[in-house]
Amino acid sequence: MDLETAKERAGPREFSPADDLPEEYRKAATRMIEFHANSEIMGAYLERPFIRQAPSIDRKLAFSAKVQDEIGHGQLLYRAAESLGVKTREEMLDDLANGDGKFLNCFHYPMESWVETPMIAFFVDGAAMRRQATLRRTSWEPYAHAMDKVCFEEGFHVKHGEDILAELMSGSKKEQQLTQEAFEEWWPRIIQFFGPTDDKSTHHDFAASVGLKQQSNDQLRNAFLDQYIPKARKYGLEIPDEPRIRERDDGTYEVEEDDLDWDEFFTIAKNDYEPGLDQINGRKAAQEAVQWVRDTIEGDASAAGGHAPQAAD
Amino acid sequence: MIWEVFRQEKTGQYHTHCGNVHASDREMAKQFAAIQHGRRKPTNSLWVVPREEIGEIDSEDVAFGGTTDKSYRWATAYNTTGRDASEVVESEDEQATAERQRGDD
Repeated sequence: MDLETAKERAGPREFSPADDLPEEYRKAATRMIEFHANSEIMGAYLERPFIRQAPSIDRKLAFSAKVQDEIGHGQLLYRAAESLGVKTREEMLDDLANGDGKFLNCFHYPMESWVETPMIAFFVDGAAMRRQATLRRTSWEPYAHAMDKVCFEEGFHVKHGEDILAELMSGSKKEQQLTQEAFEEWWPRIIQFFGPTDDKSTHHDFAASVGLKQQSNDQLRNAFLDQYIPKARKYGLEIPDEPRIRERDDGTYEVEEDDLDWDEFFTIAKNDYEPGLDQINGRKAAQEAVQWVRDTIEGDASAAGGHAPQAAD
Repeated sequence: MIWEVFRQEKTGQYHTHCGNVHASDREMAKQFAAIQHGRRKPTNSLWVVPREEIGEIDSEDVAFGGTTDKSYRWATAYNTTGRDASEVVESEDEQATAERQRGDD
């Protein structure tokens, strides 16, 4: 199939591994799904320490269930990506370990305190779910099928995150204040989740023309703000003054792009953001620590007898 | 030789098991599948798989998930207030349906 035919045929769940797709399509889809898969994995690693730090048994159970789900989402997505025939699963995991794999901006920032957890588990997951719901209509069928399962599970993550936020914002004055501070720190990053505005987005046009991407950055950001600004306010959070967000007459929002730190965003996009390297290297260390498991499964007998690597946490 | 048949009604949907055919080889299996399972119901694609290539594990062999009460991992367990995003509502509805089908409530 040539590119023109692919563009003409492009529609929800239109293409499957049975189709002979042009290289441009397969490369663009791989880039997009690999990014998504990497993000699931890196998000899980960011949240994992809070299984241990959870303030109650209910939170501990829910957090470990959520982290388990996210790792599962990564596995589903690597399958959807590898079915394009451009990169193998091993190549993608190795690239993620050696710092070449790209992933979501929000997961490059360290997360240190429990009050930060709803910033990921409510706002970032809410933003991600908005995007994922639209991707159930992507043109690469294995990706759409992965989104069916991801969206099924993700509702729990968002509502659990909201529940943590509700609890913190009805807690002590100190808890409320710390949560507000965490919100102010994370809010610009959450806005940047959707990437640069449409006119500055480099990959959107092609991905949209072949049906991979269903909505533009601006449309997704608007839909997110429309739902989540009222939610944030309802729990008593104050929306920071910057970035300036103006509501237009038609109810959509306009974000003052210049108020956001795009230098930092693009440094992160290149995996050059210093604090984010700990995230990447931490996962690399975990991957290496369980190399012996993969070797054993693959039947490499020599690996089982060597030095005993430290167990992954 | 028995071949299990999976039918997909429309592009993009899942191939779901719909029956099996008796055929001597893959070519014959595809033809029989087309005649027996693709003739009356709307069909976009069929898969035929030799039965002996299918691995099965059932509830006798292993305790599958989804039967014990793990309410903490269901959206329905969290009573948040206010209007939820449509995709969150949709996910919660799907989970509520799955929960009802669990059979222990």
